[in-house]
Amino acid sequence: MNEGLVVCVRAIISFFSLLIFAKILGKEQISQLTFFDYILGITIGSIASEATVDLSSRAWPHFVGLVTWSALAYLMQLITLKWRYAAKVIEGEPTIVIMNGKIMDNVLKKMKFRISDILALLRNQGIFDLNEVDYAILEPNGSLSVLKKSEYLPLTPKDMNIPVKPAGISTELVYDGVLIEENLRQMNKDKKWLMNQLKKYGINDISEAFLVTLNDAGSLYVDKYKDDIKKVKDIGDYKGPY
Amino acid sequence: MRKFIINAIPITALALFILIMLSGHFLKKTVGISIPQSIDDIIEAVNNDSWDKAGNILDDFEKAWDKVLIWIQFSSERDEINKINSCIARLKGAIAAKDKSNALMELHEAYNHWTNLGK
Repeated sequence: MNEGLVVCVRAIISFFSLLIFAKILGKEQISQLTFFDYILGITIGSIASEATVDLSSRAWPHFVGLVTWSALAYLMQLITLKWRYAAKVIEGEPTIVIMNGKIMDNVLKKMKFRISDILALLRNQGIFDLNEVDYAILEPNGSLSVLKKSEYLPLTPKDMNIPVKPAGISTELVYDGVLIEENLRQMNKDKKWLMNQLKKYGINDISEAFLVTLNDAGSLYVDKYKDDIKKVKDIGDYKGPY
Repeated sequence: MRKFIINAIPITALALFILIMLSGHFLKKTVGISIPQSIDDIIEAVNNDSWDKAGNILDDFEKAWDKVLIWIQFSSERDEINKINSCIARLKGAIAAKDKSNALMELHEAYNHWTNLGK
């Protein structure tokens, strides 16, 4: 038995099977990770790794395990999507831990959270003074959402009655030296306009541009492959081997 | 068409993977069709005390086993494969020693492992 070759083939099978199942499970898995989702991810990964290297058993039972866990995760997603009550039971719900600036200590006790944990989560958000906090909500994934009191919120142009033009999101027109014509059409521009703009940056051909983006406000960002930076600043504090 | 291809690729890939993982049982009956017959032939030769004949069939059996192994190794357990290899090695010794009881034991054990391969 050529164990190296068998492990290689089983690794390819596990890798692409895991990729397909992860795509089927979708983005919800990444954005709303609860503690159970972490365990699910670890378990599925563990099954895939055993399918690769555990030559003492066939790949098929491991594959069946992988399919079963992924199918159950998908089923759980469907159930929580369609049935609100099940979603509350399985995933939990957001809980207010600070209300009107006051700490809900009975809620903390119920959630088995210490106040020091809440203070740590607040510090992660740059809040070192509890007087700034109006509401703090503990999300099902363990993160803390904070609403500061109005007087501590950052100033906005609206507060100063300053009219601003909406910037919109940036759209990539050139990515890695390749022109994305669909995006150019979407922004109601043509290649002639783009080349005229790029000439101002010393670019005569699309392939010289690494990245070009344009937003609704008309702000164009251009990055060339040639950065004219002789040496990148070394911000490390240790010389190292290289 | 594009959507069809995007959906067809993962389905085809999964189907291919399942085919590879379950191919052992099918390949045993095609590529490995001579293995059970070889074992029966060696049993018959050992029973008749035709040790030279048993040794020759064993050599052919070993070659056939090496050929089959290339195909079935992806859908079989390593332990079963190693046990068959051990049986062949011990069988060689039993035939050389003209030890009927050990030879027959190894042959039946090899047959059992062959049957369990890919299950």
